[in-house]
Amino acid sequence: MMTPDFIYLLPLFFVGIGAISLMILSTFKTMTIRKGAIATLLFLVLAFLSNGYNLNSGDVVYSVYPFVDIFNKMIVVDTFSGYFSTILILGGILTILIGLHYFERHKQFTVEFFSLFLFSVFGMMLLVHANELISAFIALEIASISLYVMIGFQKVIDKRIEASYRYLVLGSLAGVFFLLGTSFIYAATQTTTIGTIGNMALNTVDSNAPLLIIGGTMILITFLFKIAAFPFQSWALDVYDGAPLPVTAFMAATFKAAIFGFLLRLVVVDFDLIRDFWDEVLVYVIIFTLAYGSFLAIIQKSLKRMLVASSIVHTGYLLIALVSIGVIGESAASSIIFYLVAYFLSAIGAFGLIAYISSEGQLRITYDDFRGFAKIRPYMAAMLSVFMLSLAGIPSTIGFIGKFYIFTGAIESGYAILAIVGIIATFISVYYYFKLIAVMYFYRSSELIDVPPLKGIAPIVISVIALTIVWGGVGNTLVAYFPGVDFLIDMANLSYESLFIWQ
Amino acid sequence: MQEKEALMADSLLSYIALAMILFSIGFLGVIARKNIFIVYMSIELMLNAINLIFIALGRYYESMQPQVIALIIIAIAAAEAAVFLSLIVVLYRKKKSLNSDVFNVLNQKDAAHE
Repeated sequence: MMTPDFIYLLPLFFVGIGAISLMILSTFKTMTIRKGAIATLLFLVLAFLSNGYNLNSGDVVYSVYPFVDIFNKMIVVDTFSGYFSTILILGGILTILIGLHYFERHKQFTVEFFSLFLFSVFGMMLLVHANELISAFIALEIASISLYVMIGFQKVIDKRIEASYRYLVLGSLAGVFFLLGTSFIYAATQTTTIGTIGNMALNTVDSNAPLLIIGGTMILITFLFKIAAFPFQSWALDVYDGAPLPVTAFMAATFKAAIFGFLLRLVVVDFDLIRDFWDEVLVYVIIFTLAYGSFLAIIQKSLKRMLVASSIVHTGYLLIALVSIGVIGESAASSIIFYLVAYFLSAIGAFGLIAYISSEGQLRITYDDFRGFAKIRPYMAAMLSVFMLSLAGIPSTIGFIGKFYIFTGAIESGYAILAIVGIIATFISVYYYFKLIAVMYFYRSSELIDVPPLKGIAPIVISVIALTIVWGGVGNTLVAYFPGVDFLIDMANLSYESLFIWQ
Repeated sequence: MQEKEALMADSLLSYIALAMILFSIGFLGVIARKNIFIVYMSIELMLNAINLIFIALGRYYESMQPQVIALIIIAIAAAEAAVFLSLIVVLYRKKKSLNSDVFNVLNQKDAAHE
């Protein structure tokens, strides 16, 4: 049975319509933050359901170009984009649920914030659906511009606006390089559609190869910038630090997933030529990303900055799998997809919990502030420990399995040196993650007065995330036949396959 | 006919050379200038340099696609301009200055209030 085209676009449609209608709704006096959040959740849940329907109906692996006569293969709906949309919509839902307490406490947030938030989710979803460089750029800009404004939304705080400005200047600069790369690729191949570029590149390899490689490099630079890899990581610490905590959680977990979604499609489908050229350089990029990220994470006193610096290290792990794609395509790609889920859960949990803890008053969140935290809030301390264990990749958490796949993939594909560096970086990461656990459990004295108690929706959601992390880790390592993360890996494999269905 | 094609290729090259010069000026402006207005204008200059490349390519390949791309880039640049200009206004109201050196809260490590 043929599914009508618009069914495939329903997830995008719901999020986009949600953004516009919240913009209109926000003009009413009676709209409160809580009502706005509920409306946002409603649209996101609708999108989530329709996305789940698309994933489950019809063939196991599918790839459709909806409205091909209008969009001309600019947008593709396949298992890959469905999988990533699930992550992104879930990221949106979790961010709203966790951040609700924070948004209500801080007076500057208004209902327009949720409209921007939905626009940002929309842009990210469009990015993983994009099958063409210019529509990818539009999607990237929709997501980024909404994020610029979201970061600077509390405009009375100097830190927020400066972070917003810094991100705006550097983000637009990266966007310009993306366009320059696109123009070079267009000059070489006369097309910007992914899939066609690769074919054209194979046919006209001789004279246009340098043009293609330069153009591809420019695009690669943009994405290395957006995921904060080594030479372009300097903005991340300041911008993520300056952003409100729920927005930081959203950016660190969700935006990274969206960008890897498009990067993976580009690299796997089209950029064989450029990837071969860049693999050697990427090895150094990875080593420096891991080393410098670890260094930055060690020297931080603030917990937020430490988590941000460690997200640079996690970018390094993800890039390890990206270079192994050339040798072992499928398992490396699905290890990236799986690691993104693992990191997404751990990061959104950790940032979200810290956002919840610091939502009352002007609290400085440093390591010292957490002295004896386990005595005051034992459950929160336990959840925070779970997130730290998962980020460090300790067995029985989902983070371990993610790292396991990435490092075995690196060894299989002959990049043993990268696996070694990655494992050393993991050892170092134990220091800065376990410092928090040690501080919480083994120290006395605390001046934490205004920590909110465990009530409301946010702690429930955070504890569900913590349980998922443990379940995902225990599921397939310890107990046989226990429904664990296997289906996530299967889905990752299927979504990789769906990239190669041609129509 | 051949002569015409050679002429086209020559003029395409000169257009791209011009665009790259504009692009470099813009890039230099972003990294070297302190005034946040000039930083913004430099980014616009870079975007317009890319527009020039696309339009020259459109003439060269006799295709409408690059011209459409150029129009889309103009639209995106307008969206970016809205955010840029409003941020410049907010920043100016805070510090009464357009010099980017005065915006240094993020560099002061110990003042990291959440």
